[in-house]
Amino acid sequence: MSLFRKMKRTKISDKTKPMTIPSKVVMDQNKIPDSLAETEEKIRGILGKNDDFLVKRFKIFGQFSAAIFYFSNLVNQDIINKDIIRPLMYVPEHLANREKTLKNLIEIIMEETLYHGQSKVEERLDELLTVLLRGETVIFIDGIKEGINISTREVEHRSVSQPETEQVILGPREGFIENIDSNIAMLRYRLPTADFQVRSMKIGRLTKSTVYYCYIKGIANETVVHEVEKRLSAIEIDAIMDAGYLEQFIEDNHFTPFPQIQSTERPDKTVANLAEGRVAILVDGSPFALLVPVVFNQFYQTTEDYSSRFLMGTFARFARMLALVFSLIFPSLYVSLIAFNPELLPTEFAVAVAGGRAGVPYPAVVEVLIIEISMEILREATVRLPRQVGGALSIVGVLVVGQAAVEAGLASPITVVVIALTTIGSFATPAYTAAFALRMLRFPIMILAGIFGLYGVMVGIILTFNHLLSLKSFGVPYMAPVSPEDKQGMKDVVTRSPLWWMSKRPDFLQTVNRTRHDQDDQNQ
Amino acid sequence: MEYPRNITTVQATTILISTIIGVGVLPLPLFAVQGGGTGAPLVTFAGIVLAASGLFILTILGIRHPQKTLISYSEDIVGKWIGRFFSIIVISFFLFLSGLAAREFGEVVVSAVLRETPLEITVIVMLLIACISVRYNINTFAYIHNFYVPAILAPGLIIVALSLKNANPLYLRPIMESNLTSMLKGMLTISALFQGSFIVTMIIPFMKNPRKAKKASFWSIFITGSFYLLIVIATVAVFGPEEIKQIFWPTLELARTTAVPGNILQRLDVIFLAVWVTAVFTTLFSSYYFTIFSIKQLCKLKDHRLLSFFIMPFVFFLAMMPQNILQLYGVIKLVGKAGLLITILYPGLLLMIDIFKSWRKKKRAAQQS
Repeated sequence: MSLFRKMKRTKISDKTKPMTIPSKVVMDQNKIPDSLAETEEKIRGILGKNDDFLVKRFKIFGQFSAAIFYFSNLVNQDIINKDIIRPLMYVPEHLANREKTLKNLIEIIMEETLYHGQSKVEERLDELLTVLLRGETVIFIDGIKEGINISTREVEHRSVSQPETEQVILGPREGFIENIDSNIAMLRYRLPTADFQVRSMKIGRLTKSTVYYCYIKGIANETVVHEVEKRLSAIEIDAIMDAGYLEQFIEDNHFTPFPQIQSTERPDKTVANLAEGRVAILVDGSPFALLVPVVFNQFYQTTEDYSSRFLMGTFARFARMLALVFSLIFPSLYVSLIAFNPELLPTEFAVAVAGGRAGVPYPAVVEVLIIEISMEILREATVRLPRQVGGALSIVGVLVVGQAAVEAGLASPITVVVIALTTIGSFATPAYTAAFALRMLRFPIMILAGIFGLYGVMVGIILTFNHLLSLKSFGVPYMAPVSPEDKQGMKDVVTRSPLWWMSKRPDFLQTVNRTRHDQDDQNQ
Repeated sequence: MEYPRNITTVQATTILISTIIGVGVLPLPLFAVQGGGTGAPLVTFAGIVLAASGLFILTILGIRHPQKTLISYSEDIVGKWIGRFFSIIVISFFLFLSGLAAREFGEVVVSAVLRETPLEITVIVMLLIACISVRYNINTFAYIHNFYVPAILAPGLIIVALSLKNANPLYLRPIMESNLTSMLKGMLTISALFQGSFIVTMIIPFMKNPRKAKKASFWSIFITGSFYLLIVIATVAVFGPEEIKQIFWPTLELARTTAVPGNILQRLDVIFLAVWVTAVFTTLFSSYYFTIFSIKQLCKLKDHRLLSFFIMPFVFFLAMMPQNILQLYGVIKLVGKAGLLITILYPGLLLMIDIFKSWRKKKRAAQQS
């Protein structure tokens, strides 16, 4: 299917590539030397000077010389002491009379001695070094060319709490954290089905971040999954700090203000989208999950819509849509009405507005632009404020922009009201990235309104909509289910129809299984 | 570049509706009344029937050649050079149409809304949005029309509904005036307003199910026809035929006299015009897209995007050629009548030749077997 455009590959300059382990080891041969001293020297040579890298020598069963290697800050020291070193040093009773030689030592250790569920024997040095750097423990025995690697990773992470960017009143309060294993656990316990697939890959030369992409087999369209895989493997970068980095590499169109991938911190939202047929991408180190493919009307929907009763959900959605429309065109409408067509307003109101604007020296569009720009600066400033100063400064901002500017003659009171409503409207949009897009588009439309009035606003709106209609996210048209019309999808666009009406999955995702629920499936 | 066949029947219907309903709606009652006086609704109806038959011919032709547009299959039917010659005529006709539509709307905007803006600016702005939008592929073309159709139909219907309280049904009688020649001329002029339906020849190759194009054509003519008829009836009932003969854009006047109950908003014509920009845009978009796409097919180019900015100066030149609005309407009527030959007669001829050819082929095949 030629629905997907070719992705541009971004290459980092080869001259500055850091030395990765495989390249170092390949130079030296990937084998573990027989002698323990040689192994230790080799490993220390590759890893360089690390004061948190510990090597403890001991004797297994009192006979065999061995050493255990680990990074002290990444491991759970208790497990190492109790479950690894202790059973190895202390001969257990059932082995007292067994003959232990180098040949059967590995087998005895792995199958009868170690108290650990995740342990493996590995003979490649590069693999052992990679896992060592992730926090696992490696045991080398003098005279044996294999190493035992045991999972002992324990890193500090924050506790699961309500995500700050997506707060709800009715609904679960769990949010993803940076540790990807906890995130996958949160998804798995909500989807205890064999069809839930989790595939992984490692991206990032330095960070080697684990990236998991999950989908539900039998619901998600295989083409989308393949496309996700293809785009993720094409990424070449040295460090992935956050899921946002991935988003920038795999999106369809880099030059549009509108996001084509949704990111969320909530596991319940992720699971709901997985159940509709989307693919979720998670990165180690980032609490955000990316959901693809995406359509525009997802940006004003929240999980709360679905947790509440359908009338509540519908009403809240109307309010949000209105806020969205406001945040885009309200200042432009104000400018065009005041500057070009005051006859549209009721007479008393028009007179009051004109009176308010009497002292302002500039035309309406300049005044609106000045206040808008100061509002944007204010908004950026408040994001970075520490909590203690934040409250006071927002009051100062309101007073300065609102009262003082009006009194100084820089703005009229009605302008401040309009801009305030616009800003509040943009906060009402649940998706931060989409709200940002509309915030940005406000300015060209305002300028068009200043030049051409209402005609200019319409021209701006037409251009915006045409652009939206031409976007695609992983092959799905961005304005589905409004534009390629889809009756099932329409039930969820403006109104949030009752859950029992929405029995089929939306058409635009081209899912394998189209029905959400069926009377016969009750007992599954 | 081949695109997958993705246009559904509903999308085809909406493409036709939004293409046909354009700036022609504004002077429509004037043309109808000039033709028939109080018999304007009947004249409109006759015009609709003529346009419907033209569209029917085009649809049947398109269904007989579901993989090709008119430019390609006209070469098959009448031979390469004659086909190309007539295709060039069709393309230049639509070029003219795009220019005139932009100019007409520019005139409306300058006289009703932006009185001090030079005409060139409004025309250029309209052409620029068309230019930028023509660069998308045909699926986006369908989505755009699909999206704007409610925005086009709704204001017209709302205006009609709200204006009926001022209606005087006496203005609609007698149903037919005796001057038959002027009725015929009016019918032709009104039928010319439906010329946008020619775009069906470009749509059929990309439809999921080309056989259903007949249904799409029927519904689109039905909806646009009823829309036009309603507007004519409402305008004539509110103003009366003599008054309308004095007004260039009666539909706009209708919007102006309508008031939202409670006087929340007065002078609705500005809002009407603002929303009407979408209708004009879709019409202009369609005709310009048809022009560019056909040139691409005629010259066997790979991509139509380069042409969009290249052809724009020609369209602008054609748009600015009439010196004033009276000349503009003279040109529009002339071009409209010429267009009827091109959009109804030529496809009719093609269809007859095509049927004749396939009948001969069947006869020959029957003789050989």
